[in-house]
Amino acid sequence: MKNLLKISLLLMLVAGGILAGCGSKDDGGKTADGKTKITFWDENAGPQRTPIWEKLIADFEEANPDIDVDYVGLPKDSSKSKLDTAIAADDMPDVGSVQTSWLPEFSIREALLPLDDYLADSELNDLINEGAVTFNKDVVRDGKLYGIPYTQNLDVIWIRSDWFKEAGLEAPDTWDEFFTAVNEMTADGRYGYTIRGGAGGSFQLQRLMFAYSGLENYFDDNGKSTINDPKHVEFLEKYFDLYKKNTPKSDITNDYKEMIAGFDTGVVAMVHHNIGSYGEHSKAFEPDQFEAIPLPKTEDGRYVAEGGNTINMSIFKSTKNPDEAWKFVEFINSAESQSYWNEQVGQIPTNADVLDMDWIKDSAHIKTAFEVYDNPQTVLYKPPFYLPDYRSILDNTVDAGTQKVMSGESTVQEFLDEWAKAVEDSEAKYNDAMK
Amino acid sequence: MVNSRSRTNKILFFYLPLTLMFTWTIFPIYWTINTAFKHEGDIVKRPLEYFPTAPTVENFVVAWNNVGFATFFKNSLIVGISTVLVVIVLSTLSGYALSRYKFKGKRSFLLMLLATQFIPRAMLIIPLFIIFKSMGLISNPLSLIITYTAVEIPFTTILMSGFIGNIPRDLEEAAAVDGASKLQSLRLVMLPLLLPGIVATAVFTFIYTWNEFLLALMLTNQQSKFTLPVGLSFMMGEFNVNYGALAAGSVIALIPAVILFAYAQKHLVNGLGGAVKG
Repeated sequence: MKNLLKISLLLMLVAGGILAGCGSKDDGGKTADGKTKITFWDENAGPQRTPIWEKLIADFEEANPDIDVDYVGLPKDSSKSKLDTAIAADDMPDVGSVQTSWLPEFSIREALLPLDDYLADSELNDLINEGAVTFNKDVVRDGKLYGIPYTQNLDVIWIRSDWFKEAGLEAPDTWDEFFTAVNEMTADGRYGYTIRGGAGGSFQLQRLMFAYSGLENYFDDNGKSTINDPKHVEFLEKYFDLYKKNTPKSDITNDYKEMIAGFDTGVVAMVHHNIGSYGEHSKAFEPDQFEAIPLPKTEDGRYVAEGGNTINMSIFKSTKNPDEAWKFVEFINSAESQSYWNEQVGQIPTNADVLDMDWIKDSAHIKTAFEVYDNPQTVLYKPPFYLPDYRSILDNTVDAGTQKVMSGESTVQEFLDEWAKAVEDSEAKYNDAMK
Repeated sequence: MVNSRSRTNKILFFYLPLTLMFTWTIFPIYWTINTAFKHEGDIVKRPLEYFPTAPTVENFVVAWNNVGFATFFKNSLIVGISTVLVVIVLSTLSGYALSRYKFKGKRSFLLMLLATQFIPRAMLIIPLFIIFKSMGLISNPLSLIITYTAVEIPFTTILMSGFIGNIPRDLEEAAAVDGASKLQSLRLVMLPLLLPGIVATAVFTFIYTWNEFLLALMLTNQQSKFTLPVGLSFMMGEFNVNYGALAAGSVIALIPAVILFAYAQKHLVNGLGGAVKG
């Protein structure tokens, strides 16, 4: 018996020893062969994007043999909480791919390195889309630049162009045409449209509302929210009226996957998402069967897009090698890397030099997105990313409220009043705290 | 007459519910396997294909090689098996103490064991992270093994003390009369009788470590140290739901659990019965 105990104790010790051997040590950011090591966290890893990053990192390491980039991919749904933990525990990566909506919070928590000076001294200075850079500065409290946007996205409506052609209908340009088209495309067991009633629906709903109303600000000068503006009420009443009549009944729990599957399996004629789902549709359809159209114009003929629909390369403050980290940020934002990344993913680059490349001229959905961003009339409205509970209001209050309206438990007016009150309270709390 | 009625009854109250339940349970698994063997384009095609017309292992290759399931699988096995070993040794010993000895504060100790189960895991993440960071164990399987062991020990200890309580003391006394020491009687007399309980404990623990996602993600900062559930979550991006690879990954993740259950099934039912009686 003593032997058995001894053996099991020994085994545990040996196992512990082996495992502890692979523990990470604080090496000041150097690898064993003297290279500078920087870690990079990707906030939306997966079989599609990880290989793109791996290729770009390999190219970077070839161009900079003394720098070693350690890639860590994070699943999209958990990457924010992973970064939150890392910031709280002061164990951040050197460089991260950071969504614009996270910038205000991360800057208040002093997690990021201001990049204004780096950008000013860089060749990139005049190349990166000015609107996006300005927005990044506007959105944080101290007005500094905490991330260089390397990709932009835009909400569009994907339509089945083949069905539209069959029905002799033009792609809708105004909201009236949109509602007519939804109605006309609902036939023969098909639905004209699909509503995202489940997780993530709130973000899309908000973009539709502002696209309809053309309002630029989330709050008026008195701190009152524009969410329950009569225009928004009017829009949502028409919009939710489509439910069950022109959309599948299951829409009330639709999240991204179900919604896109509805479109890609030929159940619905139109779906509101962004250009990022191009890859999914192109797997299901021939090129002439589908296309992206901008969200319909407002009554006075202007496009509206949500500001800050970008992802940035940011450097974390705790980095021991800021210059090497900046080299990597600069490399990813070079015309060549941005072009590669955005072409693979199917999004809009921010580097002006990419805009003339052939693949952009050849891809209709990217061109459509450009037309919207390029149009001087286009309104970029500003969501309050700086409110700490902005996201949780949308996730909890608004997603749940959407389902209540869809199930008939509450009216659009009640829903928007509740939403407006939640953001107004949050705004007041924020202003108090920041005084 | 009587015979035919009892046959109808049997069909109505036995076979029919059983068939329904079986279909209900098996369908998602069948659909996952079906999807895993389809080409990407066929997955969302209408009309639906109930069997892949042109089966392919491409999805498995993608999951295994491109997404890194080979590494995730190995990491999960290391963490799972190590945790199971540690949990079995510790919970057998502490379960024995709880069921065989009387000591002061035994009831409150049991209560405390239960109470540890009520702490939301998400609340522990940052403290755990800081502790493991100062120990240099971030991105080290040992941090997961320690945490999982700590999480599982209270439940498995209570489970084991139930099993041990079921074994008559007389057996140990007889062994003692024959000159066996405490440890000898534990090893030679108790262990063989406890096998169903140990198997049940091992299966519970293994399944927990196999499926645990949150801690596995939070305590690991290196791509090569992630476990299977983290790997599976890579397949579910907003813009890139890779159904084929996701299904293939799920099938890969399913295999050890299915083998384990197939092997342990008999013990498991016995084991649970024992625990309830205890």
